[in-house]
Amino acid sequence: MNRKEFLSDCGKMGMAGVALSLFPWLESCTEKAKQEVHGEKARIGIIGTGSRGVFHIKNLLQLQQAEVVALCDNYRPHLDDAAQYYPKAKLYEDYRQLLDDKNVQGVIIATPLYLHGRMTIDAMNAGKSVFCEKSMAFTLDEALEVYNRRKELGSVLFIGQQRLFDPKYVKAMSMIHEGVIGDVVGVRNYWYRNNDWRREVPSPELERHINWRLYREYSRGLMTELACHQLQNGSWAMGMLPEKVMGSGSLIHWNKVDKRDVYDCVTAIFTYPNGVNMTFESIISNKHFGMGEQILGSKGTIDLVTGMHYTDEPMPKGSGMHQLVEQIERGVMSNSVFAGTSWAAETGSTAPGMPIMPNVKVVTGESSVGAEADGSKELVDAFLHAVITGKQPEKVLEESYYATQFALLADKAMHENAILTLEDKYRVPYVPLGSR
Amino acid sequence: MQFQFSDKNPHHPVTYASFFSMHTRIELVATGFTEEKGRELAQSIEAEVKAMEHRFNRFDDTSPMSVVNMRATNEAVTVDDELFMALELCEAFRRGTGGYFDVATASAATDEGYAVSYLLDPKKHTVKFTHQGVSLDLGGFAKGFALEQVCRRVREAGAENALINFGNSSVAAIGHHPYGECWSVGVEHTKVKGTMAREIKLNNGAMSVSGRNSDGVYHIVNPITGGLVAGDELVIVEGRSALVCEVLSTALYAAPRAQRSVIMKQYEGYTATELYCREGGSCEIRTIDCNK
Ligand SMILES: NC(=O)c1ccc[n+]([C@@H]2O[C@H](COP(=O)([O-])OP(=O)(O)OC[C@H]3O[C@@H](n4cnc5c(N)ncnc54)[C@H](O)[C@@H]3O)[C@@H](O)[C@H]2O)c1
Repeated sequence: MNRKEFLSDCGKMGMAGVALSLFPWLESCTEKAKQEVHGEKARIGIIGTGSRGVFHIKNLLQLQQAEVVALCDNYRPHLDDAAQYYPKAKLYEDYRQLLDDKNVQGVIIATPLYLHGRMTIDAMNAGKSVFCEKSMAFTLDEALEVYNRRKELGSVLFIGQQRLFDPKYVKAMSMIHEGVIGDVVGVRNYWYRNNDWRREVPSPELERHINWRLYREYSRGLMTELACHQLQNGSWAMGMLPEKVMGSGSLIHWNKVDKRDVYDCVTAIFTYPNGVNMTFESIISNKHFGMGEQILGSKGTIDLVTGMHYTDEPMPKGSGMHQLVEQIERGVMSNSVFAGTSWAAETGSTAPGMPIMPNVKVVTGESSVGAEADGSKELVDAFLHAVITGKQPEKVLEESYYATQFALLADKAMHENAILTLEDKYRVPYVPLGSR
Repeated sequence: MQFQFSDKNPHHPVTYASFFSMHTRIELVATGFTEEKGRELAQSIEAEVKAMEHRFNRFDDTSPMSVVNMRATNEAVTVDDELFMALELCEAFRRGTGGYFDVATASAATDEGYAVSYLLDPKKHTVKFTHQGVSLDLGGFAKGFALEQVCRRVREAGAENALINFGNSSVAAIGHHPYGECWSVGVEHTKVKGTMAREIKLNNGAMSVSGRNSDGVYHIVNPITGGLVAGDELVIVEGRSALVCEVLSTALYAAPRAQRSVIMKQYEGYTATELYCREGGSCEIRTIDCNK
């Protein structure tokens, strides 16, 4: 595969013109790569058939390369639910038995966070290709252990960071690296919801099994459940990793309702070596602002969630017409050209934005299961491809690894009330996107 | 001239050109041309519009229009075919708008009023003024006329889709936006800059807006009274011909409200609306109904 090749045949994903060298993990979605695995199937086992597991099943049912041969969950009702989709699949209550199943080539792990690291390592040791849901691991050490073990074994390992496969993120990042918004001067992320984050519990002794998210024994709360997706944005956009992290978290609202011990309100600041800050804020007792991810540049802004580009530069007179050129280049029809009785200079601040690509799919971030067209399906498809070819795509794991590490580091900063730096021992080779 | 060509989108290579002429900026966006063809077209359009500007410019002593203004009081002045055709069209529009479109509005007032200021002789292609102090100003006509010529050229050159903007006040479309069923033109709110008061969808058609300048200056003269029209509304005309739109929007804005629907009776296939923009950002749109 020629690295200079452009993603012209990923046209379906609307990423025409995006340089593959920037996103090597997208190689599997090119026509050529699809041919490579044509007619072949990846035999998949799913560990953890809760809500995310079933979400993946629904996608797998639509993917040609998928054959789900085994299912595992230690909670029978969930296992039986999943079995309805694949009546022929073998059912296991102990994941180690599924790993012993020679028929299984690759596993998708969608269990609570505290199990991710151990299950991933066991699966790789058993010779399986692994897709594990985010976050990658429960602790900084464990994430490193997983990373190193994969390296030793040369296994295929994907983490459920679907933004890496979401066309609008890919397009936006490629525009940012082309310099469309100038220098990146700030990155803002937030995720607001207004719900208790609880799942219904059939009987009290199941509380911790079902609502594992709410307890530090199994979960790192908002940082590992939400932030890890958004923390990719800064590194992805700037091609570097944060230098220091600080944060503050508290339980301010939902502790009135139950005995949870993960924060329901967090703010973290990540400072990059060039001084630029990335913020993350999450509150789950107010949803007004929803989910937001914005890359602020010296010349403009890209809103990753809405897929809009706004320019800060005062537009030259006549730019309304000039915008049409960009619309046509991007294959979109956007806001109108302005007419009036005579010319008026428009300024950037009041100028309407423009979609970065056709048919931008906007995800609200309200669901805790997953959303349509957010890259999740493409991510799983790429995993299936890798299961068949046995090839680990470049960079994809490192992007996920650092998303997890910085989510965990911020969580640590909040609990220790300290400004932290990611220790050298946790730094794995990172070839950032920006270096062409 | 500012010229840009982009084939970033291989399905729709796009040409952009912009230049100043007739006291305004003229812009073209067109798809379906090669860079060479696009540049050639843009250059020929610029040359044609600038030649027209010269011909019709009453402030340029060497222009055919100036020659008429200087000499037609005393003698019948022979003019070239294009200027004659233009004057004939102007006369037809004057009659067709009940006198509210008149290229002789710049004339000094006389006791006889403004009814007939010039006589055209179609056989000899001559112009003769009926009294002293008449002066013709084709400013309100030339833009629409030029825009029409530009459209013809762009169409003949084989554009798939194109949008041509004459100083924001007149816009003409060939085909539609490659990613939509029309070209969308928003009329800017007069009180809240940067917001759209009305969207006009063009597909092989044109639109023109008349009203105060964006800096708030009244500039359209009522040919019947000779005074500046002081309406706060905008008048928007849509229809097939860019020239008719331009002329009609000027005439309708100049005409008293009651006369507007009378004028519209003459122009089947054209729609006219009055747009009143308020400080808070709201606005009111009224269609000028020709059945009234
Ligand atoms: N990428 C995304 O956008 C996204 C969205 C939602 C959830 N997730 C991730 O997916 C994972 C699962 O989340 P969920 O919402 O589906 O939770 P869930 O509680 O609905 O599902 C987890 C399942 O794992 C099972 N399980 C627990 N311990 C097990 C064990 N030892 N062996 C086998 N099965 C076991 C549970 O019975 C349950 O069915 C989490 O890591 C979460 O962060 C990712």
